[in-house]
Amino acid sequence: MARSTTTGTTPNLPAIAGISYVFPEGSRTVRQMADDGLLQSSAETMESFGFARVHVAVAESPYELALSAARDLLAEKDIDPASIGLVIYGGTPGSMAFASATDAAEGAAGLCTSRRFMYPGARLQYDLGLSNAWMFAVDQLACTTLLAAARIARSLCITEGIERALCVSSEFFPAKAGREAIFNCTSDAACAVLIERTGARNQLRSATTVTKGYYWDVDGLRDEIVASYFPTARHVLHQTIADAGWSLDDVDWIIPHNVSMRSWEILAGLAQLPRARLWTDNIARHGHTLAGDNFINYRDALESGEIEPGQRVLLFSYGFGAHWTGVAVEA
Amino acid sequence: MTQTILVTGATGLIGGGVLQRMLEADADLTANVLVRDELRWKRDLHRWGALGSRITAVSGDVRVPGMGIESGTRSRIVDEVSTIVHAAANTRFSQALEEARLSNTVGTSNVLELASQCRALTRFAFVSTAFVSGRATGMVPERDNGAEAGWVNSYEQAKYEAECLVRSSGTSWVIFRPTTIVCRGADGVVTQVNGVHRALRIYHRGLAAMMPGARENMFDVITGDYVCDAIATLAFDEKAAGRTVHLCSGKCAPRVGDLLDTAYDVWEQDGEWKRRGLSRAILTDLATYAMFERAVIDTGDARLKSLISSLSHFVPQLALPKQFDTSAADELLAFAPPPVSEYWGRMLENLIATGWGVADEVAA
Repeated sequence: MARSTTTGTTPNLPAIAGISYVFPEGSRTVRQMADDGLLQSSAETMESFGFARVHVAVAESPYELALSAARDLLAEKDIDPASIGLVIYGGTPGSMAFASATDAAEGAAGLCTSRRFMYPGARLQYDLGLSNAWMFAVDQLACTTLLAAARIARSLCITEGIERALCVSSEFFPAKAGREAIFNCTSDAACAVLIERTGARNQLRSATTVTKGYYWDVDGLRDEIVASYFPTARHVLHQTIADAGWSLDDVDWIIPHNVSMRSWEILAGLAQLPRARLWTDNIARHGHTLAGDNFINYRDALESGEIEPGQRVLLFSYGFGAHWTGVAVEA
Repeated sequence: MTQTILVTGATGLIGGGVLQRMLEADADLTANVLVRDELRWKRDLHRWGALGSRITAVSGDVRVPGMGIESGTRSRIVDEVSTIVHAAANTRFSQALEEARLSNTVGTSNVLELASQCRALTRFAFVSTAFVSGRATGMVPERDNGAEAGWVNSYEQAKYEAECLVRSSGTSWVIFRPTTIVCRGADGVVTQVNGVHRALRIYHRGLAAMMPGARENMFDVITGDYVCDAIATLAFDEKAAGRTVHLCSGKCAPRVGDLLDTAYDVWEQDGEWKRRGLSRAILTDLATYAMFERAVIDTGDARLKSLISSLSHFVPQLALPKQFDTSAADELLAFAPPPVSEYWGRMLENLIATGWGVADEVAA
């Protein structure tokens, strides 16, 4: 197990300055997916876990959604593209990012050719006119990708004085993997998050990640992963809270990744966090959008008025393969 | 005067251990042992060495009316036997209630029926379990604890019902209630794998990582040697007549948290195991654990479902804090149970060394 933690030490901490997200046009109900043989569990089981509908890309490519989410964010916040110093891209890699969902196989084949070096992050930098930004991508972090990107951006804002960093994820569930990942219904989506070096609102107080490489074999160790999920998640939640200088009672909201309600109820019980503080409205509406869940949910919870300024919010996600990440935000 | 005894369950851990001690303690003692498979008994008779010459195998089965004993043999037993040690049981926690009752309740009824006919009978020694107290919490006294609390599994219930039969039988009874036996003695050698060992193996493999309970709850375990020594001593003791005797660690029982810590400390001595970074099991309330169980059952993953189901017949006891009163054992016995700290770690090491089986010397 490798564990790393980032703790805020200054009053002017890096903060989330904006969030934007885009879903593909198509969507499917749990029952439709079950009828199409895309679920391993029954529709009734998935519904009892809180899922109702997911977003499914057909004609769109991951890159198109990523570009759209990032462009919307810059426009909405009236950000000068030249002020962005860093782009962190996470999600569908290389040539696959430019293939529509129906052409995913062809896009994947491109990874074995020179099209592997057609990087969506670089193209984002060009298409958005981010002339002063350097870019890199994060990979192999699955559903913790965007939390990790935000954490890295936070660190680089502090250590290198970067004023603005744009984190973008765009992840489509693998075309031949159905729509279920360990009892969770998956969605396709892109999400963009703007991190600024200082901010009075939405400060990134702390972040904790635990990686357990033993669980790299996600099919062979499926039962072991289910068993390890809860205690490790509890540890990460508690560590993130402690590193933020909070106590369990200080946490006003938990912004989850959109996995089954049942697993969140169990985790809340284990972590001694009240179920009432879980913001779960989007599980039924959107399903599990892989890397985007936490920030999509955070924006929606802010817009709904449920999260108020100054409240203490805990974001948590688990990434297949296997990473557990928590981020503490002061709204 | 020559004594003749009848032992049921003599091929088991307790019945066999008690029989051996009784024979060793009294050179004039002769024994009848009820066996379901007489050929197998004869094949294994060499294990008894010279003691085997004083043992007579009686073919039968406690589960059938009259115990299936041939009439001539039954007449001889009725004439000769002065003490019965009834240790036969089906200890599988996951069995259906009717199955558990057949072996443990109906079986006891059939042995009591034979006992009622034994002309020279002076003692009926019944091997029960401390967990007849089921879901009861707090101090568990050495008496009929009632049925109000309910039980965690069918074995506990069937044994409770058997105790009721013994108490009302009119025989001169003594009820022994061992807690969970985890190894033979202070050497930590495991001679019979049970639910505790199987549960530990599941946690060692990283297939479960939570359990109900609290770190400070007591979890009572004991050695087979202590239980067998106690029964062999008290079965003939007049002062034990009509008594219920907990054969437990009692007030010296360890805390669940300490037992778990020791287990993970032992497992972490294996560098390859430690490298996996498996989480130590966390303890939670019964409601949260039940949600986890339910989620696994609903998802229908066959292996995980089977493993979690096997735990469900045992681990809820960890969330039911209790202490077994050992006043009777303290009063009647001249020896005390060994400290759990002496053998728990060794037991864990032996489980690893034997590949989670029993020690070679016993299995041979």
